[in-house]
Amino acid sequence: MRTKSGVLIVSILFCFIIFCGFGCKKAGNPIKIGHIHSISGAMSMYGKSCATGGEIAIEEINAAGGVLGRPLEQITRDDNLKPEIGLREAKNLVINDKVDFLTGTISSAVAQAISNYAKEEKKIFIVNIAQSSTLTEENFHRYIFRIDTNSIPYWGYAPALALAETWKNKKIISLGFDYVTGKDTLKAFKEKYLPLVPGAKIVGELWAPLNTTDFTAYITKMKNSKADAFFLACIYGGGELAFTKQAWAHGLYDKMKAIQSCAGDVETWSSVKKGEPYPKGAIATSRYPFWAIDDPKSKEFTKKHHDRLGYWPSYGAMNQYVIVYALKNAIEKVGAVDTEKIINALEGMELNTFVGTVKIRKCDHQAMMPTWYGYVDFTPELPFPIITRVKALGEDSYHSCEQIEKIRLAATPKQP
Amino acid sequence: MDIEAIMGQVLSGLSVGMVLFLIASGLSVIFGTLKILNLAHGTIYMIGGFLCYWITSTFAHIPAIFWLALILGPIATALLGGLIEIFLLRRIYAEEMLYQYILTFGLILILGELCKLIWGVGYHTVSVPWPVDGKMSIFGMIYPVYNIFLICCGVAVFIGLMAVMRFTGLGRIIRAVTFNREMANALGINVPMVYTGVFMLGCWLAGLAGTLMPPMSVVALGTDMAVIIDCFIIVVIGGMGSLSGAFIGAIILGLVNAFGISLLPKLTIAFGFLLMIIILIIRHWGLLGKPE
Repeated sequence: MRTKSGVLIVSILFCFIIFCGFGCKKAGNPIKIGHIHSISGAMSMYGKSCATGGEIAIEEINAAGGVLGRPLEQITRDDNLKPEIGLREAKNLVINDKVDFLTGTISSAVAQAISNYAKEEKKIFIVNIAQSSTLTEENFHRYIFRIDTNSIPYWGYAPALALAETWKNKKIISLGFDYVTGKDTLKAFKEKYLPLVPGAKIVGELWAPLNTTDFTAYITKMKNSKADAFFLACIYGGGELAFTKQAWAHGLYDKMKAIQSCAGDVETWSSVKKGEPYPKGAIATSRYPFWAIDDPKSKEFTKKHHDRLGYWPSYGAMNQYVIVYALKNAIEKVGAVDTEKIINALEGMELNTFVGTVKIRKCDHQAMMPTWYGYVDFTPELPFPIITRVKALGEDSYHSCEQIEKIRLAATPKQP
Repeated sequence: MDIEAIMGQVLSGLSVGMVLFLIASGLSVIFGTLKILNLAHGTIYMIGGFLCYWITSTFAHIPAIFWLALILGPIATALLGGLIEIFLLRRIYAEEMLYQYILTFGLILILGELCKLIWGVGYHTVSVPWPVDGKMSIFGMIYPVYNIFLICCGVAVFIGLMAVMRFTGLGRIIRAVTFNREMANALGINVPMVYTGVFMLGCWLAGLAGTLMPPMSVVALGTDMAVIIDCFIIVVIGGMGSLSGAFIGAIILGLVNAFGISLLPKLTIAFGFLLMIIILIIRHWGLLGKPE
């Protein structure tokens, strides 16, 4: 009797396991996307925003039946903005969580560490915020992709093109933070702008120590420089807010035109209310001006993001959303989760984004995400200053494939 | 350079210099009497800024709240200074200099993290208060009234401090303690209390500067490090512990920076240090310091 009931229990269990096995198989093992970002600390608003962007895409895809009958899953890990922690989390995701793809990072240093690891492990790594152009130029390899803008358009080329399309100022004075990104920014701006506008000149280059918060002496100098426009080379965050306040008090925005690229980023300006100083009328750039994008999908995405987090989406959120869809399309095209074949599918792929089709270039695996420019102003829709009358800049604002080839040649050590 | 450009740089130099003097005065007063180089002085200044933001934003409905913040903010930092002196600094007066540096450096980290916990990592701004919010015309140039107001504050603080030191009984006691601690003690002066009081005065000055800054700048973490190096330069140029020295040092540094920016912008980052090196070579005890 005892053995009989024992057999019965075992067989029931066995059936249960088999059924469950079938059941699980029916739903399919999830395809896993590892997402490493800054979830705590100063940059956490970006990390959370990107994670949410990815989750929104995954919910949509899973609700429609997943990819090849399998659901997608995103696993997010915190890198604390530190390369060694980002690398550790990437290894954890690959070894323990068995993720199929790596995505993420805001810090270029973290991205570089993960990129090296992805190359060794032959895993695809897609960057969604980190800007350093070296990731896809000098240090490029087969397994890194970037669906995001990079530092070339953001700091130098996009503002140069924007100015060349609009005011074409001839006498420009620049102010930058005195460190490498500041210098690179001005160099890139000059490289693009000066050939486009004959007779244009940088009449003065001012450099403030990093973390300067009192720009009074720079502003009086700019005011008396007889330039007709000023260009802020990499003055951002708190420095930019302080500069704007002081320039406003000195009437600088009434006296000359302003090119203040970072002023299009909602993140810095969302604390500024109507009536307070802002970069009045300045040309600025933005990487996701959701208020100006008419695609209903973008409107829906923006709303979902705002409902979940209580703040507006960063450009990284849109990028992660596009990344998830890019992977879905590539996997469906290939018909399997096969890294090498997916890379071939991604190279040259036309991404269907909120902002039209965007191509992933083969030469640097960089998606030609647009940069928008416009004029900073207040509108009735939002309580903080934004760029208005926006226009998008495309592939023009990136290094060309020929330029990148030259950069890579110069960077490779010469064989003896 | 035409006259307008020169006057522009002079005014800006004075404005930048006076803001720095407001901070450096406290550093100088503390060093003069306690012989403590308070590395965390900039952090006290930053806390003043956060308090200004916190008071003005929490009680935004009260008219002229900024002026109330200007009274309350410095008092709060002075009380904080009192706690630091009584519970921490008193234990290390007899120890080597190294201990002060470690202690006050530790305070930078601890107080900075506290600010982060309380006020977060975002940027905050404070509007320019009435009636100093307009623009005025000086030498045919539009200039913000608030900068002129800051210059006046710097001069007023200098005159006020000098008057207290010279003409009041309190000033006499402080000078006596500064001159000879043992003798003052023997004469019945409560030296520890004078030390606490002077440290609180120094922190009050830092808090005053911190509260005055937000309307023209930004309240954020890291603003302490942006000013503290310049303040050290001022105190060294002027002569350690000499208030008039710090005043003159601040004006010189402000002007050298302003004209440096105008004439040799590539070297901006170096002017303060060059100035300090030159003065240390010529008079290594500072402009108004006393050779030891």
